[in-house]
Amino acid sequence: MTTLISILSGGLQGYILVALLLFITGLATVLCRRSILVQFMGVELMLNAANVALVAFARFRGSDVQGTVFYLFIIAVAACEAAVGLALVVGLYRLRQSTDTDRADALKQ
Amino acid sequence: MFLCFALITLIGAVALTFQRNLVVAGLCLVLSFMGVAGLFLLLANPVAAALQIIVYSGAIVVLLLFVIMLLNEHQEEPAIRARPIQRWLSVLVTLVLTAGVARLVAGSGLLRRLSANPPPAAQNLGNLGNALFSDHLLAFEVVGLLLLAAMVGAVAIVKRDL
Repeated sequence: MTTLISILSGGLQGYILVALLLFITGLATVLCRRSILVQFMGVELMLNAANVALVAFARFRGSDVQGTVFYLFIIAVAACEAAVGLALVVGLYRLRQSTDTDRADALKQ
Repeated sequence: MFLCFALITLIGAVALTFQRNLVVAGLCLVLSFMGVAGLFLLLANPVAAALQIIVYSGAIVVLLLFVIMLLNEHQEEPAIRARPIQRWLSVLVTLVLTAGVARLVAGSGLLRRLSANPPPAAQNLGNLGNALFSDHLLAFEVVGLLLLAAMVGAVAIVKRDL
């Protein structure tokens, strides 16, 4: 009962639960959808779930500034990943005229 | 407040999973990112919230929407063959993980102890700048180099003939 109150009122448990549910939703998106662009969105959701957990732990362990520094680096790497990933999607589309992952099942055309 | 932002985040994410139109799915992603930014504000971390809105909802989603419109792929293509086993397996994995996560969070003593800590002062940009440019200067420069490398790499991949 106290756990439920803590989750609903914004204790650490609530943030971790939201982060884990966000991760699972992202995973479900990657598993169930065929379009590579939607799968990319699912990967971004999973990355955000990790960020929520990181910032929540940094806050409840004494508001350490290192958590925010780490978050800054994560977001920079995420920007790199988005740029290169979307460039690869454009390259795939040029090769196969499709963004369906089921249609991209051979290494060579 | 917490419940409101948590619901915005999760509703955006679930709507993304079930959305057929890719542009609308991208907008659901923005909704989810805004909810996450609100959670960061509640965690007394306005720097992280601003970065979230600028980099994720700004840069990354705009890039994604540009690619969706460039490729003119507004709908998911019809499947070449139905994969019922994989579909049901992934639904099963999702349900099992959700149940497991709920049990884990509810039963964790560590989370309960940490949650009882008194909330400390808010994070500000001055602290972050001091830590970034005194302790992590080398890492900061390396990240700058990484961004440059990713930019050059993306242009090299997209360009037809260099």
